[in-house]
Amino acid sequence: MIYDYIIIGAGMGGLSAGINLILNKKKVLILEKNSLPGGLVSTFKKGRFEFDTSGYDIYNYGNEEHIGKLQKLLKKYEIDVDTKVVPFNSRIKELNTKKEYELKGEFEDLILELEEISPGVIEKLKELVKMTKEVHEAVEILLDGKTPSEEEYPNFYKYLDKYALDVLKEMKFPKEVINILSVWWLDLGSPLNKLSFIDYADFLEKLIFKKNVILNNKNLDFDMKLVNKYQSNGGKIYFNSKVINIINEDIKIVETKDGLKYKGKHIICDLAKYYVFKDLIKEEIKSVNRLENARTIGANGVVIYLGLNRAHEELGLNNYKYYQFLTLDSATNIKYMNSLNHSTWVGYVPNVVNEDASPKNTTILVLKQIYFEDVFKNQGAQDYETVKNDIADRLISQFEEAFGVDIKEYIEEIAISTPFTIERITNSVNGSMYGYMKKGYDSSIHRIISYDEEKVPGVSFVGASGLLGSGIDNAFYSGYYVTNKLLKEKE
Amino acid sequence: MTKIDDLKKERKSIVDTYSGKRVKDTYIDGVIKNFQDVQYVKIKEIIEETSDTKSFILEPDYDKGTKELASFRAGQYISLKMFIDGAYTTRAYSLSSAPSRINKGYRITIKRVPDGLVSNIMLDQIKVGDGLTISRPMGDFGYNKIRDEKNVIGIAGGSGITPFMALAYAVQDKLEDFNLTVFYSVKTEEDIIFKKEIEHFNKHSKKVKFVITLTREEKDGYLNGHINKEMMEPYIKEFNTVLMCGPKALYKTMNEILGEFNIPRKCVHYENFFLDYEPTEEKTYELKVIMKNDFKIIKCKSNETLLVSMEKAGIKAPSLCRVGICGYCRSVILDGKIKMVGGNMEKALSENDYIHPCITYPESDIVLRLDI
Repeated sequence: MIYDYIIIGAGMGGLSAGINLILNKKKVLILEKNSLPGGLVSTFKKGRFEFDTSGYDIYNYGNEEHIGKLQKLLKKYEIDVDTKVVPFNSRIKELNTKKEYELKGEFEDLILELEEISPGVIEKLKELVKMTKEVHEAVEILLDGKTPSEEEYPNFYKYLDKYALDVLKEMKFPKEVINILSVWWLDLGSPLNKLSFIDYADFLEKLIFKKNVILNNKNLDFDMKLVNKYQSNGGKIYFNSKVINIINEDIKIVETKDGLKYKGKHIICDLAKYYVFKDLIKEEIKSVNRLENARTIGANGVVIYLGLNRAHEELGLNNYKYYQFLTLDSATNIKYMNSLNHSTWVGYVPNVVNEDASPKNTTILVLKQIYFEDVFKNQGAQDYETVKNDIADRLISQFEEAFGVDIKEYIEEIAISTPFTIERITNSVNGSMYGYMKKGYDSSIHRIISYDEEKVPGVSFVGASGLLGSGIDNAFYSGYYVTNKLLKEKE
Repeated sequence: MTKIDDLKKERKSIVDTYSGKRVKDTYIDGVIKNFQDVQYVKIKEIIEETSDTKSFILEPDYDKGTKELASFRAGQYISLKMFIDGAYTTRAYSLSSAPSRINKGYRITIKRVPDGLVSNIMLDQIKVGDGLTISRPMGDFGYNKIRDEKNVIGIAGGSGITPFMALAYAVQDKLEDFNLTVFYSVKTEEDIIFKKEIEHFNKHSKKVKFVITLTREEKDGYLNGHINKEMMEPYIKEFNTVLMCGPKALYKTMNEILGEFNIPRKCVHYENFFLDYEPTEEKTYELKVIMKNDFKIIKCKSNETLLVSMEKAGIKAPSLCRVGICGYCRSVILDGKIKMVGGNMEKALSENDYIHPCITYPESDIVLRLDI
């Protein structure tokens, strides 16, 4: 049996690729090393709590007025998911200025809040909002394989090679407003002085118009829906199938740890190219190595999952998200984030937006801290348990102090995920939670326009380490984008 | 168009200045690469604990590639992998040695189970120098300094004492900082495992205390009868964490007692050690196991788990904890009626016909998808 496509990894990218190919009547095999699908988007149970493993917010799903890419694709694949729109509901603490902000409601409310902080800024914000729309449309055109016209999209071209921070400064936004507009850099994993304005504006467009949603059910339910769609159309998926070798010849041979071998005409990796050319493909391709050496692996991090034995109202946890920043100035803050004991983190309370997130009268609190560079290097393996528990202990204490709540005495379940956990489960290089870092010459735009030139014959890449970076929407779309290109090429 | 071309060129010209050599592992990549799911060990020593219980000290088997034993947290277990008369099977045993003294080996302690497939071989046939294959340390049972209180009450029934020995050593060696009182319930004095070590702790440790109660005989120096409220009263503080390891019947009576002390649910943790379910009927059904590149039709019995039936038929079904917790054996029921006893499974999986074969009994002919 020779498959048309062998997909390695049943994460968002791999499953999306699988579904698109199987709906196009191709012979497809997905090999997944774990016993369950989902990759980084999964769910685990501890005691009576079910914890979702990736950020709760889903970008680019959209609503009736503004349908997002993810929803469009799911509709196309005929997959129904129940979602809820999530309004802004964050508390933000900045340590160096001791300032605290609460962002609540719709984006219009946020604009009014910013106007209060800096009277007169409203006009500039309107201009920015308009620009995000223009940029977003231009990116869509580019993804469709066409070129946006310079007359229609002047701002897209004007800011194509500019960093987000520089553009905001050029637009004369006051510093404090820029700072508040920087809060989401943690979602993107790149500070505003390294993030292309196009990536930033495209992200804002999703935030403002598509609005974030969360899944009503757990991530694993979503994963199962994707797998069922794929299988019911004839797709084959093998779990517990860790790929250890790819022989990249005319007919590709994929070897798994259990000694089985599979043949396919084309390989799609829901993995970083970095990992595949480090560990799976023996063949040396200089241009690939150059590119991989030139890129930066995204931040990794520690995630603390807490199951609390009280309702969130009783605990005083009334916001969906809690942020603490050393400074809201992302360019400065990132310099402090290459050590294990910095004080920037984000906390989620999913129960605030979804009362079914955990059993009645309980609450889930998820705390996440990210790190740049190889910060675990100096911690001996022996100390791993201690290091991990110390980080958790510190983050929980900081959270209690920052927002004046008691958490520790209500902890019924605790689970801690580290970069080691993430890499062991997903083979994400360095345990990265963002794929490659979007910065400088490795922005989404750079990746899209260089896609054809940088293609590796016979092997394609999807997922968070792919074209558009991390996030369920991006990873999922990459699976569609790449397979669509492949299908067109074959025609 | 030119601006886009410029951008493309810019990327290419920068990339071209980088090395064309293969990319390297980061520190974390290296650690994960060396991560082994299985460990090869040799029996270093066998200790006769009681008439029906032996301890085994395991050391790394260098020749087979295990250079050092993986570190563990007090309370964790290893899964022993055996191949007996054409059947692949596993057994989970708590580590009872000191986590800070890995260089002296792991200790597991095995009590004879009448007709037990593995325990009888371990007690009667295995000798010093023999090689074994085991998993990495697994499981969540034990003390967690963030979650738990400083006053810890241990409840141990029979061989459920094993993880508490590791916890006692963790306290003694200052890996953990809490007060530990272990109530250890055994039938007779003869049945006490680790008697000397327990006496040593009771004599010398300020933080660790074992209270032994004999349920089937009265003897000086021991309490008598099942663990009860009066026995525990002197050791209960304002805030307590309770760790239990033993048969389910023990958990049931203990939960009533803990209720009387008003100890909240969040402070009570169990090790699921035993599978207490005895179907009365014995019927034989057909079990079709669909694997990746193969399928097998075998017999299964209503009083045997699907895992055991598969193992007996020589199918290498994965398993670790064997009590429905770790999720390692999870499989999909494609057809048939089953009874799953306990376990802890994500809702999305139950809704998609996943089961844990290690705690599942057939009630009809079965078709199972086993992902191996």
